[in-house]
Amino acid sequence: MDSRRRLVRAGSILAVPILWLVASRFGILPGLPTPVEVLDAYVGELYREDFWISTIRSTIRVLSSFAIAAAVAIPLGLLIGRYTVFADLTFPALEMLRPIPPIAWIPFTILVLPAAELSIMFITFLGAFFPILLNTIQGARGVEVEYSRAAQSLGATSYQTFRHVIYPSALPAIHAGMIVGMGLAWVNLIAAEMVAGGTGLGFLTWSAYTSGSYPTIIVGIITIGLLGAASSALVRLLGDWQIDWAKEQPA
Amino acid sequence: MSKHDSPTDDPTTAGPTPDSTGKTGAIDINDLSKIYDPEGERVVAVEGMDLDVEAEEFVALLGPSGCGKSTVMECIAGYLEPTDGEVLVDGNTISEPDPKRGVVFQENRLFPWKTIKENVEFGPRMHKGVEEGRAESILDEMGLDGFEASYPSGLSGGMQQRAELARLLANDPAIMLMDEPFSALDALTKEIMQKKLLEVWERDNRTVLFITHDVEEAILLADRVVIMTARPGQVKDVIDVDIERPRDPEVVTTDRFTELRERALSVIREEAQRALEQEEGG
Amino acid sequence: MSAESLERLQRQVGNWTVPLPSKRVRQLLSIALFLALWSAAVRVGFLGFDKFVGPETTFQTMLSALGGTPMTDGGETIYEHSAYSALRVLVAVTIAILVAIPLGLTIGTSRRWEDALFPALEVFRPVPPVAWVPIALLLMPTFRSGVIFVVFVGAFFPILVNTIEGVRTVEEEYVQAAASLGAESRDIFRHVIIPATLPSIVTGVSLGVGLAWITVVAAEMIAGGVGIGYIIFQAYRLLQTDVVAVGMIAIGFLGYVSAAAVHQTGNYLTRWQEID
Repeated sequence: MDSRRRLVRAGSILAVPILWLVASRFGILPGLPTPVEVLDAYVGELYREDFWISTIRSTIRVLSSFAIAAAVAIPLGLLIGRYTVFADLTFPALEMLRPIPPIAWIPFTILVLPAAELSIMFITFLGAFFPILLNTIQGARGVEVEYSRAAQSLGATSYQTFRHVIYPSALPAIHAGMIVGMGLAWVNLIAAEMVAGGTGLGFLTWSAYTSGSYPTIIVGIITIGLLGAASSALVRLLGDWQIDWAKEQPA
Repeated sequence: MSKHDSPTDDPTTAGPTPDSTGKTGAIDINDLSKIYDPEGERVVAVEGMDLDVEAEEFVALLGPSGCGKSTVMECIAGYLEPTDGEVLVDGNTISEPDPKRGVVFQENRLFPWKTIKENVEFGPRMHKGVEEGRAESILDEMGLDGFEASYPSGLSGGMQQRAELARLLANDPAIMLMDEPFSALDALTKEIMQKKLLEVWERDNRTVLFITHDVEEAILLADRVVIMTARPGQVKDVIDVDIERPRDPEVVTTDRFTELRERALSVIREEAQRALEQEEGG
Repeated sequence: MSAESLERLQRQVGNWTVPLPSKRVRQLLSIALFLALWSAAVRVGFLGFDKFVGPETTFQTMLSALGGTPMTDGGETIYEHSAYSALRVLVAVTIAILVAIPLGLTIGTSRRWEDALFPALEVFRPVPPVAWVPIALLLMPTFRSGVIFVVFVGAFFPILVNTIEGVRTVEEEYVQAAASLGAESRDIFRHVIIPATLPSIVTGVSLGVGLAWITVVAAEMIAGGVGIGYIIFQAYRLLQTDVVAVGMIAIGFLGYVSAAAVHQTGNYLTRWQEID
């Protein structure tokens, strides 16, 4: 990319705060906090313990729920993708639950699970779970039968075939599911925190609205956006590191 | 020298040029070089290549894989700009793709979202220079009647390749650029397609530049076989195929064919060896 | 071990050969097992399941709700709540399609537009749509337009990103082939770029619809008013867990129907694709 293009792209990003500044100066969006107010509020938040607790809480919730979702969805998806009988017995029930948006579970989880923390984590987990599951199933079904036949002919046991053929072949699809899953984990986490209250960036943002400290709403949005971008980058990095073979192209 | 075997050509006149005979489709490649430099990794695909293809001549471009054959074709098609040198068609420098220069790709490039009929009619629809009804008659000629409403994904590989040839012919190009068009087909289908191509060419007066790595295919089809060197690609040798036309796939059993094949193979072997060494060297 | 050998294994439990139930029966078994587990969990009081409703009561409440009984005393019926949520999704997704597809095609085909617009849009993309709820309530003149705005944001980015990605992955040879057949750049856009991008757009729309449902439920729960998301949370406040469950089923049903509609339309629009 040449320097002129870089400049235009930087200008594109810079246009966001500039347009915001102009809009608030001329009262185009009445009620919208000005960039200066938000900057002020942001600096203030950085000195508040509550802000940091919320940030750390949300991050831990997302990362742990996502990890559990991957740990459950990948093996389950591989099994469903490879064994018809297992698929018939489990998949219809899962398919029945899938169209329910994770956040709609929140009254249920608050009632049934012993702690609010678990409720929020379960909602976040569900957000990541189904995209990873579906992509894993698709990936496992897409593995060409010749690969597993080749492995069996080379003396691999069924576990070894799974470990060394099915799983790596399905990895690109699994990874695509993880990228979507990470996004949905954040969406549902923020929703759950807003609804269930307590701590977290979703709660911080919503309570800023209800308590009338409007600049803090945007502080929350920016922080959520930054963490969301960072966790997407993390998943991508994880994928690049795991699936290096897919990129090797002969010259 | 083109068509000097053809009985209609007057043997007393000198080799035909576009001006003297009114034929079109001559290609002049002068000192053509193409260097790819995507991320600072300089690859010289073609270097100082010279080749004249006369109007209505059938030339096969033969060479080891990665020798820049496709690069030459893409320069003639107008997809690539030469780094150095020039490509002239009927004396004019090429600036962009043109319906006069039709292309058949190595992998089938029928538009998968259009039916066979829509694919074949695509060219005539895009520019009005083609007579009405040409598409229908070509669909019939290529044995595609009954498949007009099918999508390419519903056709066999051979059928798809036939449809792609039909799409090209419907556009009535002066030059046909064919990049290993039959290399993915099975032997039988390939033979049928070669026969079809010869039939069409012997009737229609078009220039064909046919890229292949199959020696027999090159000799069977072409007036001249141009053998390219390993990268950077240049013309290594040119073999005149003095086997009379009309030809059919039976000619491969003749002695003359065997002689020409041996000659071509010995040149190719040398180059293939060199290409291999190049690759091993990095 | 392949699927067949697993089947063989299951057929020979102990000394006798057990006939493996047919596919349909196995699938029904899966649903039945789920309902049985749910019912048992409520009865036994697994975790806090005793505070929730079982499938039997849910079924009864469902029937009366479908019969037109208001979901909460003096409130709207299931049909009205569903209609509100569905309409919000429909309006928001339609606007998102109308904005995101042309924008994505522009960004995907023009480097200049990409440089000018895409980085700015990327700034907003990582923000979950739900996080916009307070801002939308603050800025939008009415509550209704606030919810629709948030749902629009939810549907917008998947459609945009998939459209751009689709344009970028159009194979160059199709463009070249069209150019060699005499197509001008307008023709190439219409006959090559758009159809080649369509499968990717369809993927984007189906992701967008999914996200729109999540967002509408969350927005309705948070902001209140009317709609399935609202009624699920309102019923929870009133501790009518049967209504909570019925609301969940309703939203699942609506989500399923809209996903199926997108899928069918997508299949029709890209019917030229190979069917695996």
